[in-house]
Amino acid sequence: MRVYIIVAAVFWCGYVDSRKVRGISSSYKRFYRERKSFLCIDGSRMIPFEQVNDDYCDCEDGSDEPGTSACPHGRFYCTNLGFRPHYIPSSRVNDGICDCCDASDEYNSHTRCQNTCWNLGQRERAYVEGQMRTLDEGLRLKQQLIEEGVLLWREKQAQLRELQQVAEDLQVKLEEHRRKKHEADRLKEQTLKALEAGNSGLIRHQNSSVTSIFHLLDTNKDGSLTVDEIKAKVVLVHDEQRVLSEGEALALLDRGHRMDLSKFQSTLWDVLTRGDTVKIKDTQGAPGSLSSEDPHLKAADKAAEWEATNLKKVEEAYETVNMEISDLQKKLAIDYGTDWEFLFLNGQCYKLKVYEYTYTLCPFNQVTQKSTAGVEVSLG
Amino acid sequence: MAPLLVVGLALCLSGTWAVDKGNFKTCEQSAFCKRQRALKPGESPYRALLETMELTNTRLTLQLINDNNKVRLLLELYRLQGNITRVKINELKPLKPRYEVPDVLIREPTTEPLSVLSQDENGVVLSLGVESQRVIISARPFRLDIMEGSDVLMSLNSRGLLAFEHLRMRKDTFSYKVTSTVASVWDNIKRTTKEEEEKVEDGMWEETFKSHTDSKPNGPSAVSLDFSLPGVEHVYGIPEHADTLRLKTTDNGDPYRLYNLDVFQYELYNPMALYGSVPVMVAHSPQRTTGIFWLNAAETWVDISSNTTVFGKMLDYVQGSSETPQTDVRWISESGIIDVFIMLGPTPKDVFSQYASLTGTQSFPPLASLGYHQCRWNYNDQEDVKSVDAGFDEHDIPYDFIWLDIEHTDGKRYFTWDPHKFATPKEMLQGLMDKKRKMVAIVDPHIKVDSNYKIHNEIRSLGFYVKNKDGGDYEGWCWPGSASYPDFTRADMRAWWASMFAYDQYEGTMENLHTWNDMNEPSVFNGPEVTMHKDAMHGSWEHRDIHNLYGLYVQMATAEGLIQRSGGVERPFVLTRAFFAGSQRIGAVWTGDNAAEWDHLKISIPMCLSMGLVGISFCGADIGGFFKSPSTELLVRWYQAGAYQPFYRAHAHLDTPRREPWLFGPENTALIREAVRQRYTFLPYWYQLFYRRDLLVHPVVEEGARGVTAYLPGKDEVWFDVHTFQKHNGAQNLYIPVTMSSIPVFQRGGSIIPRKLRVRRSSTCMEHDPYTLYVALNLQRTADGELYIDDGHTFNYEKKEFIYRKLTFANKVLSSVNLAPDAKFTTDSWIERIIVLGASKPSKVTLKTADGQEKQLEFDFNASMSVLTVRKPGMNAGADWTVTFQ
Repeated sequence: MRVYIIVAAVFWCGYVDSRKVRGISSSYKRFYRERKSFLCIDGSRMIPFEQVNDDYCDCEDGSDEPGTSACPHGRFYCTNLGFRPHYIPSSRVNDGICDCCDASDEYNSHTRCQNTCWNLGQRERAYVEGQMRTLDEGLRLKQQLIEEGVLLWREKQAQLRELQQVAEDLQVKLEEHRRKKHEADRLKEQTLKALEAGNSGLIRHQNSSVTSIFHLLDTNKDGSLTVDEIKAKVVLVHDEQRVLSEGEALALLDRGHRMDLSKFQSTLWDVLTRGDTVKIKDTQGAPGSLSSEDPHLKAADKAAEWEATNLKKVEEAYETVNMEISDLQKKLAIDYGTDWEFLFLNGQCYKLKVYEYTYTLCPFNQVTQKSTAGVEVSLG
Repeated sequence: MAPLLVVGLALCLSGTWAVDKGNFKTCEQSAFCKRQRALKPGESPYRALLETMELTNTRLTLQLINDNNKVRLLLELYRLQGNITRVKINELKPLKPRYEVPDVLIREPTTEPLSVLSQDENGVVLSLGVESQRVIISARPFRLDIMEGSDVLMSLNSRGLLAFEHLRMRKDTFSYKVTSTVASVWDNIKRTTKEEEEKVEDGMWEETFKSHTDSKPNGPSAVSLDFSLPGVEHVYGIPEHADTLRLKTTDNGDPYRLYNLDVFQYELYNPMALYGSVPVMVAHSPQRTTGIFWLNAAETWVDISSNTTVFGKMLDYVQGSSETPQTDVRWISESGIIDVFIMLGPTPKDVFSQYASLTGTQSFPPLASLGYHQCRWNYNDQEDVKSVDAGFDEHDIPYDFIWLDIEHTDGKRYFTWDPHKFATPKEMLQGLMDKKRKMVAIVDPHIKVDSNYKIHNEIRSLGFYVKNKDGGDYEGWCWPGSASYPDFTRADMRAWWASMFAYDQYEGTMENLHTWNDMNEPSVFNGPEVTMHKDAMHGSWEHRDIHNLYGLYVQMATAEGLIQRSGGVERPFVLTRAFFAGSQRIGAVWTGDNAAEWDHLKISIPMCLSMGLVGISFCGADIGGFFKSPSTELLVRWYQAGAYQPFYRAHAHLDTPRREPWLFGPENTALIREAVRQRYTFLPYWYQLFYRRDLLVHPVVEEGARGVTAYLPGKDEVWFDVHTFQKHNGAQNLYIPVTMSSIPVFQRGGSIIPRKLRVRRSSTCMEHDPYTLYVALNLQRTADGELYIDDGHTFNYEKKEFIYRKLTFANKVLSSVNLAPDAKFTTDSWIERIIVLGASKPSKVTLKTADGQEKQLEFDFNASMSVLTVRKPGMNAGADWTVTFQ
């Protein structure tokens, strides 16, 4: 079909235009219908028709010399059959450089120009076809990427929703665990207080307690307290760090070098239970041993510790999930194109070597320049 | 990186956008200048020993004696063909030879007979042969007066400032002591009794400037002489200075300095030295024009004083005296001899041809080099070159040359290409050639010290480098880092350099690649005053002796290389920054690293005119300004002014934004296009006339100008605006309203200018185009002009391959007559149009060709403008013809 049209066109040109006016397009032919005279296209002047394309510029607008270089601002139409037609400035007519592929601009010059339109046309067509193919391929790829992008997008959205659900659940859990921990702490506190209260009562009112304190102080278990034993276990209330002096210890033993249980109960016990001058040193296990020995306290303590660990775990989980959520939200907030066609680029990196530099582009992330010397510079 | 660093450093040092004056010497800081300038007039110790006079037919010799130290000088006096007198003064018996400048004169000048008219014990009168011209030699003190009739044209040593520091032994050296001990008793007695003990002053044997020490092994060696010019108020010349055309008096400041220097961001309106030196001064008065050519290549200072400066004028006014105006000048050079050519005119044209007979005329450039040149530091790579080239086509702006600055090389190794950015230079050059365009690449004279660089290795092994004072290769810092400098004063070195331009040596080059020599003062970044140490050695001569000549030699060797590579056929195009007397024979010169400022646009005109006055006509300034970035208005105005300056090149610094003509909006692109197109229509005129006086151009160089006032000279002249054809009378100040598109240009009535109006991509594309003849009639209704045509690029014109015709309009007949009947050349070009300005309406116009055929021509007459346009006469431009206007 196309071939017929071209052949017809060639035929038509040859037939109708026996006196072809050089350098005009067919749409301008109506201005150059041969009469006796020619009116410059801008209407400025009427000249004899022989002066059209006679290599002398008569019209201001250059319209009398479409086919020569005579007019400074004229233009020449390259028909370029087989390729694309176009205009060139008149100054390029017969300047020794081939501008029109049909060689029509160098009809009177020292340069021989080949008609390259058919080849150019072929190449152009091949090129355009190639382009089309590339374009099709590109479109196909784009579609694919869009589909992938959409899927990925949905996947990520679902992931986000899931994560948000998890976060909500974790929040509930977290509150529960906080409450539980609080409860356990409170219980522990209570037990400890009760124990402390119980301790002082016991010391004051129960013999066994007198005995047990006596035994506590009687380090060598010989049934009597000595100056050394007192120095080891008893301190001043206001100066716990200082070891009692020989004299002070002796005074607490009521000036005797030894003190048995009955004497202890009537003398030092009272001083100790009053608790305003001296007290039993907080040695390891002294009061602790008192509480650790208590099973209630032990249980409460363990429960509190358990709840704290649980809470920490839940808190960590919650934080992780939240971080993932904000990451995902950040990624989802980026403009990936109307159809998410650029989504697949996220997470990819591309490298380009230019002379001594290697450039790395990670879309939606960062660009770096690394020289062969190994210096890496972030470009944003 | 290096250039940026250095520029940055320099910037830091200067702190502002101006030259750091402290980097360059004042007369006070230059020991010999200070010494010489301290001499008082009227105390000349020199006496002519008339009894020693010898006169052969054309040569007079005579001894002079300095009565203070008894050192004798030998004066030689010659009468040269064409009304020139040459005076040479040297020591009679110098300790060692003193430098005499070679290679500047085109040949040993032809002498003419001299004869003694009279002689007595006070002096001698010599006849100079023509027009009652005489030289009077007075004996005590020595003085020369050149007379014509009863007028003194010029006097030498009239103020007694002749000074010639003779070479001497250093008194504190061992060899001096030996000599004086061995010398005879009699000599010693004579020495102590008769001679005044010479004063040793600071700076005679060593001089330090800004941490650079000049070792001065030869001691003081300066020469100096004064000239008086009676009747002269205006003196011109001695470029290169960024100053007004008319030279100023120097009484209240430094003398004008001639010392080729790479001045970073030079300042305007001062006498500081710049890149080039031409020691030629032209003295002009309405009655007479004369010239002084001081042939000395060492550092030179020129003092000018006048009795008509403000003080003198006031004196005249007060006393009502009628004292004739007089200008006194004084030349001081650091070494060498006094060798001065006194060109006696009498007209300006005579002085120019006298000077040309000594040093030659402007080399005939390839036609294309008169077109537009697109340059910047730097076009980055081949792709960049290609896209700029395409930009010119896209925007329909003609251009002929695109340029590559230093970045095109492989690490500032000249004669090489950057392997990445310019990997396939021939491909690039072919691309340009396909468009009939050309390229220029830079080749500077500093050679990177690098044992992997062929050029360096060869120069080093041939021993061709300039030597430092200790005999090793001189090294300095320049663009490539550490660099050495070939000794271009050696003819064998220049021959070797020229051979490096052969296509098989300079790889990647083709015939459309031409050359640019920059930094050839020479520029040495870490040298004293950014140049070479004066005690560096060129064979047996010190750099001190030859300094101002170095740049000329670089360009000479380069141009020779371009000629040789074409087998002697093609005319070379080489641009240089440094220059000396005689550089005009080699190529083009530009005014160096100017700035994008209105004042720099203004100064480009006197700077190039000054060079033109002393023979270097192919001159231009960087369009747009090299440093800084021009406003759009300034850029457009610069393109317009540059279109009418001989060398037309846009250039810009590496750090400035791009400024190709199409980057400033369509309106400004159009203005620049129009300016460049005007340039191209006038190319035939530029080419053949180089230059006549038929065009008067007054470019707009003021920001925001609404009008300019141009002086149209000549009482009986008329001038035609070349754009509107409006006629104006001469001898008036004409106010011309201007818009952004205006370039006021006038054609002199009485002239015929051939133009080519079909402006194309490049000048080469216009080769075969027809001519339009612009015939501007004077008040006598006559006009004449010339038409010269050749192939535009070869030396074949020397073989008489050209067309040279005289065009004359008289008695209503325009005719073309062959001025060179023995020359042969044919052209396709024809005459497409004749425009007669100031015409009256003919009844018919008839063309008569050589074969006797007659043809009626069509014409159009514009009565309101008196412009007659003859349509398409059509005869060949090389033919005989007449056109009769009845």
